[in-house]
Order: sequence, then structure tokens, then C-alpha cells
Amino acid sequence: MSAPLLSVRDLSVTFRVRPRGSPPWERAQALQAVRGVSFDLAPAETLGIVGESGSGKSTIARAVIGTVPASRGQALWRGKDLLALDAKQRRRLRRDIQMIFQNPLGALDPRMTAGEIIAEPLTTHERRLPRHDVKSRVAAMLERVGLLPEHIDRYPHEFSGGQCQRIGIARALVVQPKLVICDEPVSALDVSVQAQIVNLLQDLQRDLGLSLIFISHDLSVVKHIADRIMVIYLGRVMEHGAARDIVRVPRHPYTRALIASAPVPDPAIERGRRATVLEGELPSPLAPPSGCVFRSRCPIARRVCADEIPAMREFDNDHLAACPYETG
Amino acid sequence: MSLLRVRDLSVTFETGEGTVNAVNGVDLAVDAGQSVAVVGESGSGKSQIMFAIMGLLARNGRAAGSVVFDGTELLGLDESALNRIRSSQIAMIFQDPMSALNPYMRISHQMTEVLTLHKGKSRREALAEAIRLLDAMEVPAASTRIGMYPHEFSGGMLQRVLIAMALLCRPRLLIADEPTTALDATVRGQIMRLLADVRSTFGTAVILVTHDVGVVAGNCDEMVVLYGGRVMESGPVARLFAAPHHPYTRGLLDAVPRLDRDDERLRAIPGDPLSMNLLPAGCPFAARCPRVEERCHNERPAGSLPAPDRLVACHRPLEGAP
Repeated sequence: MSAPLLSVRDLSVTFRVRPRGSPPWERAQALQAVRGVSFDLAPAETLGIVGESGSGKSTIARAVIGTVPASRGQALWRGKDLLALDAKQRRRLRRDIQMIFQNPLGALDPRMTAGEIIAEPLTTHERRLPRHDVKSRVAAMLERVGLLPEHIDRYPHEFSGGQCQRIGIARALVVQPKLVICDEPVSALDVSVQAQIVNLLQDLQRDLGLSLIFISHDLSVVKHIADRIMVIYLGRVMEHGAARDIVRVPRHPYTRALIASAPVPDPAIERGRRATVLEGELPSPLAPPSGCVFRSRCPIARRVCADEIPAMREFDNDHLAACPYETG
Repeated sequence: MSLLRVRDLSVTFETGEGTVNAVNGVDLAVDAGQSVAVVGESGSGKSQIMFAIMGLLARNGRAAGSVVFDGTELLGLDESALNRIRSSQIAMIFQDPMSALNPYMRISHQMTEVLTLHKGKSRREALAEAIRLLDAMEVPAASTRIGMYPHEFSGGMLQRVLIAMALLCRPRLLIADEPTTALDATVRGQIMRLLADVRSTFGTAVILVTHDVGVVAGNCDEMVVLYGGRVMESGPVARLFAAPHHPYTRGLLDAVPRLDRDDERLRAIPGDPLSMNLLPAGCPFAARCPRVEERCHNERPAGSLPAPDRLVACHRPLEGAP
């Protein structure tokens, strides 16, 4: 593997929050949204981050781009720690790292045309670019994401959800970033359109040699686009490895539960696998279980799981899981 | 005889920009104890059909056609007669359980109201019954938690509360509109299993409204596929999945990303879902259909019956295995 583009080490993010329903004079508690997350991302590689709501998957991305402060750890971008940059240095690097969001319409300014939206990052990051160059780059980007030339003067409300997401992708790519972080980019779209956007991202990633971080709650979508997958639960990494290995030979009981609960559109298969439903619900991130955070719902938990935080164990080449009792 | 029989149902909305045809001539039948999936993407009209059945259309909406429940025509029924049926025969649960409950009222109050108002039970009887049903829906510590407010529950727990609430009057039909869409993957399975238990324990028929064909596969007997407010295809789930006749059904099944397959690329349906104020004269799916021909744009395909229990509305249906 070539030298990583982004190397995150022992990243933790802590929020101060007051629990819902508590009186205003009560002291805020510490909510550890992300705890000890490490990963490497190579150039032109796609990392999928999978987790349920409240798992901290979006917080990891926000900490990397600096919109939430990390409480510990490093995020080395070609050797420079993103978490230690001042605002000015960060602005310069921000061009290299762009984001795509979940709600395609909500992420676009309703008073700007598609053309203006796509041009905005160019005018911010490349101030000296002549106007006709801006225009031609916007037009080329529009075409590249599958929109028509006449779309350039239309407003967001005139587009469908899928088209809005194409505009969001164009806006992210127009400044030629090296890394694009996609935060649930297809969750709000219909299945038939979701597949279009996943395929488009896959094509762009290949053609432009981009690195992607693809965040989703849906393992089946992530599996189609990611080279590597990181499965997280309550802020901790449960399993991390090549996408194919994670799906074919999952090594963590939580990953196995996620796979078992993804419905397969085939009645013959689906009827035969009723029994594999995970019990219980996600514990409150304010009071996570001691030791292994998954133990309260784990089908193979033992008493010692409450005492120690399981270390990452290497199973095969580059396939890690945080479970000491997993035999595979 | 069917428990619910919807015939030629149309729903239109008068808006500032003209008439919107949300549902156009839909037929639907549900037998007692049966589980029927109504599948469609956004704008397919799937929820509006349910609102029309329940008499819950928005003020500018109008339903035409026929909705017969257990021998009674529901369309045009006066409010009090409709309330009698809605309180005891048909219940509905929604996608977002939080917004379906009153945030200022304890669960106990919201659950007992139905029984004290409609069934003439005392508060104590009603409370005992509510706790019993919460127990049956696997809400832990039901007798304590019934005194809590909605915000003190997780999304999955609230959906259990709503299902318990829907079952209070022992309805014969439960309409579940995207009941698991807002829930996490591991909780979704629990709720679907619960709905299956409800069917087998109480004999309640279930209409599952969903965009997710994966959920349909393991949980329903019959399936109706909607597009642009029209039925594209309907029939028994097992055979519809094995051999869909409509190109849209085929496309929908193929577009789902699957963990059990190693496809390099997802098979997308080109184009975008229909905008409802621009319904085409012909087949609503024509603009995105891989098998489209000239007449599809101009002439609406009438439903044909490739088998006694199947219906497909297509000029060039797929052959498929029998």
C-alpha cells in the first residue's frame, strides 16, 4: 500500500451535554461520541464507515474536517496534523477535502441557481480564476455528473432529489479535491435513484483517482462502493477490514448481526432466517456499558466482557475485530 | 369475501397550481388475517391510498371510487359512523412514532383514552389492559413505563407503544405506513417480527406500506406495486419476486443492493420518479422503461391477468417463469 493520504490515530470526540428532560441547573455530562478510532486511507481508496444512529460515524468525519473539536488523537493529512491547524491553515487545506451531505435539497441554497452553487467553491478557493474559466469548469462538471446544460440556470426546488444530489457532487468536485467525505449521500433517495448515485460516485472515484469516505447506516450500499469497511458501535470500532472479508467472513458478533438484519429481496431466503434478530436497543451514549460497549446486546457475551475493553485483534491480513471470543 | 376491497380508487388534490392526481384507479383486496404489501417509491401514491381508506385525506383532497370494509362503503360515510369503524375495526401506525403521539401527555393517558371513550371501560380496567398490551409488545417494565412521556422512549420502543395502542380495540385490519423506515437496522427486524406475531396472535390483517422490497420478501403474502398512482403489478409475493411481469417491478428488485451477491455495479433505473402534476397520457413508467415502445407513451395499458391471482398493467410484459 502506498503512503496514506489520511492517517487517523486514536481519535476521540467528547461533547458536553445535558440529558433530555433534565432541569437546566443540572451539570452537563460528558458524552463520548467517538473513542479511540484509528484508520488509514490510501490515495484513490474508498473507506466505508458503517454504524447505526448515534454510533458516531458522522462525528468522525466532522472531527477530521474540523467542524467539531477532537478531544484526543491525530488526523495526519500527508504528514500534517489536521487537528492542530489554525483556522488559516485549515482553510487552505479545506479545498483538498470536500463533503457531500444526506439531505440533497437542504444542502443547497434555495436562492442560488445550480450554476452559482457549483461555481461558489471555485470563487472561494481560486479567486484569481478568470470568469470564463469558472464558467467552462462549471459546465464541464455539470455534464460530468449527468446533468444537462440547460440545468445551469435552474433553482434547487426545480430538481428531483437525485438531481439535487448530483449538484451537491458537482459542487464538491469542482475544486478538484483529493478526498470527498460522503455523509449518508443516498439515504434520502428512492432505491432506483440511489443506485444511480452510487454508480456515479463509483465512476468519479475511479476516473479522478479520488479517495472517498462513505458514511452510511446501510451495509449493503457500503459494500458496493467501499474497498475497506469500518464498523462502529457507540463510538468504538468493532471491526475493520477489506469490504469483501467483512461481508463474507465477519469476525465480530455485531457485524454478523448487521448482516443478519439486512433484508434480502428474495422470499425463499428471507423466510428461512427469521430467528437472527438482535435483542435490545442501542444503549444511551451517555451511559455506555463498561468494557465492551456491545456486550449488553451480544449473543456471545461473557462476564469478563464487562471488565475490559477488548483490544483490536488481527484475524487475517489487515482484518481486525474487537472481540477476544470470536473464533470465526 | 375480502375484509377490505378497494375498487377504482382515485385521489385528487386541488392546489394553487391545478389538480394533482395522486392516485388513479387503484384496486386492492385484503382478506381477513392476510398480510398485503403496498410497495412504491416516493410520489407513488401509496400513503394517500391509506389516508383515503381511513378518511384522513388533507382538506383539499378528494377520494372517488369505492372502499368497502366488511360490507360497509367507507367513502362518503359520515364522521361518526366512520369513527366507530376507525376506533374498533381499522387502526393505523405511522413512520415517525414520535410525531404520532402527544408530547405533553403521558403514555398512560394516551393509551387509555380509546378504551374509556369508545369501550366504556373504567380507568382502572383501561390501564390494566394497556399495560397487558405493552407487555405483549415486549416493552420492558411496562407498568412503570406507561407513566412516562413520549420523549423518554427510544424510537423503537415508541413504535412498540404505537402498535400496542393500535391493538387496544382489537382491530381486524392494521395499516402500517413505513413502520420501520425511521428505525435502525437491528431494531427494524424486531418490529417486523412483532407485526408477524400480532398477525398470528390476534388474527389481524396487515397492510404494510413500504418502499423497501427487502422487508416485503420475508413478511407479506400479497404485494401491490405502485408507480405514478397506478397499480403496475400485483400478486402473491413469492411468485412476483421469482418472476415479475412488469419491467418496473423487475427494475425495482434489481436496484436493491444485496449483501448476498457480488455485483460490481448496482442496476439503477435511469431517470427520475414522476412528478404528479405532469402525469403522462400513457403508461406512467414509459419514460424510464427499458422495454418502451411507441404506444406506451400514448395508450395506457389496461390490466391483464397472466394468472388468476396476478395482474399486470403493461403493453410488453416480461415472460418470466410461470
